[in-house]
Amino acid sequence: MNRQRLDPLVRAMALTVFVFLYAQTAFAHPQKGEAVGFLTGFRHPISGLDHVLAMVAVGLWGAQLGAPAIWVLPVAFPMVMAFGGMLGLMGVPLPGTEYGIALSAILLGAVVLFEVRPPLGIAAALVGVFAIFHGHAHGTELPPGQSALLYSMGFVIATGCLHALGIGIGTVHRWSWGQKLLRVAGGLVAVGGTFFMWKAFA
Amino acid sequence: MKSTSRFHLPLYAFIVLAFVMCALPVDAHLYSTGMGPFYDGLMHFLISPEDIVPVLALALLAGLRGASYGRRALFTLPVAWLFGGLAGLSAMTTRPHPFIAAAWFLMLGGLLAADAKVSLRVTTALAALLGVYHGYLDGAGMGQFETASVGLLGLVFAIFVLIALAAAFVVRLRADWARIAVRVAGSWIAASGLLMLGWAVRTR
Amino acid sequence: MSRVDSRFVWVVACLLLASTAASAHEARPAYLEIKEIAPGQFSVLWRTPVLAGMRLPIVLKLPDDVKNLREPNVQELSDSFVERRWIDAGPTGLAGKRIEFPGLQLTITDVLVRVELLDGRKWTAIIHPSQPWVEIAASQTWLGVAGTYIVQGVRHILFGADHMLFVLGLLLIVKDRWMLLKTVTGFTVAHSITLAIATLGYAEVPVLPLNAAIALSILFLGPEIVRSWRGETSFTIRHPWVVAFAFGLLHGFGFASALTSAGLPRHELPLALVSFNVGVEFGQLGFIALILALERSFRILEVRWPRWAQLLPGYTVGSLGAFWTVQRVALLFGGSR
Repeated sequence: MNRQRLDPLVRAMALTVFVFLYAQTAFAHPQKGEAVGFLTGFRHPISGLDHVLAMVAVGLWGAQLGAPAIWVLPVAFPMVMAFGGMLGLMGVPLPGTEYGIALSAILLGAVVLFEVRPPLGIAAALVGVFAIFHGHAHGTELPPGQSALLYSMGFVIATGCLHALGIGIGTVHRWSWGQKLLRVAGGLVAVGGTFFMWKAFA
Repeated sequence: MKSTSRFHLPLYAFIVLAFVMCALPVDAHLYSTGMGPFYDGLMHFLISPEDIVPVLALALLAGLRGASYGRRALFTLPVAWLFGGLAGLSAMTTRPHPFIAAAWFLMLGGLLAADAKVSLRVTTALAALLGVYHGYLDGAGMGQFETASVGLLGLVFAIFVLIALAAAFVVRLRADWARIAVRVAGSWIAASGLLMLGWAVRTR
Repeated sequence: MSRVDSRFVWVVACLLLASTAASAHEARPAYLEIKEIAPGQFSVLWRTPVLAGMRLPIVLKLPDDVKNLREPNVQELSDSFVERRWIDAGPTGLAGKRIEFPGLQLTITDVLVRVELLDGRKWTAIIHPSQPWVEIAASQTWLGVAGTYIVQGVRHILFGADHMLFVLGLLLIVKDRWMLLKTVTGFTVAHSITLAIATLGYAEVPVLPLNAAIALSILFLGPEIVRSWRGETSFTIRHPWVVAFAFGLLHGFGFASALTSAGLPRHELPLALVSFNVGVEFGQLGFIALILALERSFRILEVRWPRWAQLLPGYTVGSLGAFWTVQRVALLFGGSR
């Protein structure tokens, strides 16, 4: 049983790496100025710690909840987040994105800490609402002269890799010490979120 | 099993060969060939994400539905691409429309993420549309070079190979998690499409 | 329905084949060698290939401020045009200066550039038509040289239709994985041996008979393929690796003629040789992997080809082999093209 669960996860991570590597070939594009767009997009979600914490927490929570959440979240999240990004690009205002992101880290950290198990719909809705904030805040900073396509792909792939990282860490859930470890990690995420919330107010 | 494999191999090998020979040297030198533009076209496809991602999405979608769908995409898309390209060669210039590029990402990625039960007819239509549209754009872009038709052939060959490999890969996937991983790829493609749509609106 | 589709594809493919077969080009590289003979002074050797009596339209354009030390020496050989110059580039030498090749962008030829400076720096570069100039600046490590020749090797095998056709013919005969492994290894070992022997100068094979023999090796496979379809057997079908090894020796000489015609300097030869061979193997294995992967994909997708399409590859190998053999034998006996 355990073996069966681990194997697909490892392979999914391998697939992620493969996709990432494929995307690397985009650098070979003759227009070098544009190709940098991928790197910029890829780097962007990784550079903000608040974003990273929340993304990894999504993966951790998915791993705690097990199937089907472990798959529904990574499928749904990028699209909802990109939707938020699209709203941001179109100029639709979204008040308080910074608070929203910090709050998402606090809440997601907390649900991992207490191993909250809501029905799938509620979990997806919670994650989805926050995803809009993340997309709105992060999907909108393209330097001039870079390819929007490559930037978008880099951005989405980086986010997906962060989920995969969370899910990968989440595989320790099948051991009892791992479950405790995950809850500690959730606590850390919540603490980090609180710190960012404090910074947003200060 | 062994005999089937033997029986089929010649044919498959020939396809690679057919394209390789498209500009066969008539010259006596061993190391001479006219394959420059062929490889140029091939590489053009491989390093253009706006071309390769929708093709990949369609191949994965067809693969999820089954072998007959994969087969249909395998033959429809390259032929449509070729015709679109030949038509595009005579066109003066065309600027790719960012909305349409984003729409392809969004639609094919979305269908893939949703594991949509598209019919064979819809698959064919999608493949033909995608091929004609992108082929036309490619043809218009390459039309300024004399060797464009050879380049187009290289491009279509790359598409053919990509669909064959990707669709067959997915058809073989039986495990649930593996099929879901394919759907995750679809959701990434759709998400990229959404962001591109946003960019297109923003920079208009 | 898919049957109709596939036929249609073949018709289109064949039409295109016919229409594009005429567009053959010359891919033999031009060669530029620059040696620093005294500080700031260089000897330049510039060789452009001559094809069917026509010089390729590539011009060597040195930086404007160089002066000739001596009168340039121009030599016209049967297959190339060789120009020697002795130049003074001033106190700073050629460092940081750009050498251009006007006209290169109109060809599909590459230029192999080799530079040797007095401080012991040597480097090699391949200039493509997309960027028809070279800047004399950075030093190139042995890694750079290796990279250059690996690329050259891959390009050579991918451009060499006759080598690929021979490999394809072998694939058509081979029946299982173990036999495939033995055959590919046989071919690889054999052509590595003769490539090394010929490049290091221990043996030499005249080009025209060699070309004819290589064509003959392809022709030889044609009847064997037909025999294996009919379920008959022969020595080749039972032991394809022996044939692969024997003819691989020939093909190795062919690779060597490509490598030496690029005008390689003696002392970097071993490294260049090994890198070139590695490149050739990469290209060859990639080709084999692609064919096998495609074959497997078609099986998974349950593609059913009409009978004539199934027979086509074998007949292609045979008839092209025959065509090349006749053509090259005619060349060998003095017939003009």
